[in-house]
Amino acid sequence: MDQINLFPLYLSLRVALTATVITIFIGLPIAYYLSRSRGRFADFLDTVITLPIVLPPTVLGYYLLVLLGRQSSIGSFLEERFNIMIVFTPTGAIIAATVVSIPFLIKSAKAAFLGIDQNVVNAARVLGRTELNIFLTITVPLAWRGIAAGITLGFARALGDFGTTLMVAGSIPNQTMTMPIAIYDALLAGNRELANILVFIMTAVSLLVLYTINRLEKRVSKGVAK
Amino acid sequence: MLDVNINKDLGDFHLNVEFQVESGIIGILGPSGCGKSLTLQAIAGLLTPDTGRIAIGERTLFDTEQKVNIPTRQRNVGYVFQNYALFPHLTVAENIGYGLKGLPKQEVQKQVDDILETVQLKGLAKRYPNELSGGQQQRVALARTLVTKPDILLLDEPFSALDQHVKKMLELELLEIIKHNFSGVVLFVTHNIEEAYRLCDYICLYDCGRNIQFGKKVDVLRQPVNKAAARIVGCENIYEIDSYEGHFVTVGGLQLKTANTDAQEGKYVGIHSYDVTFVTDENDCTTNTFRFDVRNIVEGIDHSTITVTVGDLIFKVDVRKDNVKQITAGDTLLYLPPEKIFLLGV
Repeated sequence: MDQINLFPLYLSLRVALTATVITIFIGLPIAYYLSRSRGRFADFLDTVITLPIVLPPTVLGYYLLVLLGRQSSIGSFLEERFNIMIVFTPTGAIIAATVVSIPFLIKSAKAAFLGIDQNVVNAARVLGRTELNIFLTITVPLAWRGIAAGITLGFARALGDFGTTLMVAGSIPNQTMTMPIAIYDALLAGNRELANILVFIMTAVSLLVLYTINRLEKRVSKGVAK
Repeated sequence: MLDVNINKDLGDFHLNVEFQVESGIIGILGPSGCGKSLTLQAIAGLLTPDTGRIAIGERTLFDTEQKVNIPTRQRNVGYVFQNYALFPHLTVAENIGYGLKGLPKQEVQKQVDDILETVQLKGLAKRYPNELSGGQQQRVALARTLVTKPDILLLDEPFSALDQHVKKMLELELLEIIKHNFSGVVLFVTHNIEEAYRLCDYICLYDCGRNIQFGKKVDVLRQPVNKAAARIVGCENIYEIDSYEGHFVTVGGLQLKTANTDAQEGKYVGIHSYDVTFVTDENDCTTNTFRFDVRNIVEGIDHSTITVTVGDLIFKVDVRKDNVKQITAGDTLLYLPPEKIFLLGV
């Protein structure tokens, strides 16, 4: 048996982790905003954000290509100004993974933010803390279960993405070939053995990550559970 | 000294309250949804009135004319929420220390220890709120507020989340803690007249978003200004006045003597069910005594409420249970003491 190329595993983990971190920083503020506002814009934003869950991954990938491709204004701007290429690069894979996974965090975190007793937040205000301080010391810890569930789902979605990543980043070996694509590739090439091994690794890694996040969630939410 | 004068339009509800108090515990009393809690929220800055002014002593917290609106975090207001609103993910000590941000760690520790001693929760510093009883949670909420040395204390129905049998015991405890550790104005929201009467110095009556009466608790109870006020302080016997003559008013065919020399001030008369009595001998009191028929008796623990009719009028009367038999035997007369009858405006 040949030496197994572990690059797809490395790339998949890197893409999923990076996408998850980006998701947290962009998704949490959006989720908080959506939980506070009832306006038309908030409704519209909520709908648009849910779209990646509903749309077929290939359709999403197509939109991203149109939006960020070399012919698009954003794509050409990034390429000329910063020499950043998105299509057929790991960056593209990260963007694809972020877009497909962010709705899960936002949905889950929004529901968790909505579940917080506003009197508790008001109590913090009366006690003299600033809004940002309250968000970090009260709101996020109290919503942590929902946020953690969202992070878990989002990470799993990012790790397992096939269609959108393939559309945006392609399947260049040792450059943009993630685990799911490598498995498909192995199967197409008739290499059952490699496919089996990759599937096994993927399953084991997923289990490990999910288990770790679950443990982490339990520890942080101590005292919150009634 | 607290000065409140606020207006707020909330669509189908208008909040329009105005009162000034020097000091003491003020009970804000009224039915649910009459704007009691909204007033506390406005004072704390959690609700912004459309117009008006809120000041504590020399310090203006809110004034639409001067365009002052100090944010909640700088108002230095003590607020105990209805369900206490403790931070469930923080320990008792962390909850209490939450309002002391910016102080050195040792100082926070010392102040938390001191206040825990005061509210007798010394051994519970490391517990989480859900591991405490309702009464303990209440004391944590109070300690968390008192430790910040607020200028005013706002209590939003602090006993509504507690079991009946611990309420009275905790009332006394809360009162003691507050009296020994706080000297400013205390606003105490409740919808229970007995609770307000036991705990407060003054009572402020609310009805439909307006404060309709403010005064010493005895005066408010004994002389409600109108029908709504009388109902809020628990008066069940209210009758429309048909005509006046000096001390006397006529209601439903009965002539009643009142203590007021000029009875024309009122549109209704009222008397508390516990102020109505029965007399055995007609010669004892000749005025305001009537023959009656018993309609029904509702048995309480130590008191029974008897509903009696005199002509077309229905009276509710609280009597000691020992006396029920004698009263219903038929040789007594209903007596409405003139000094206990109050006249009500519209």
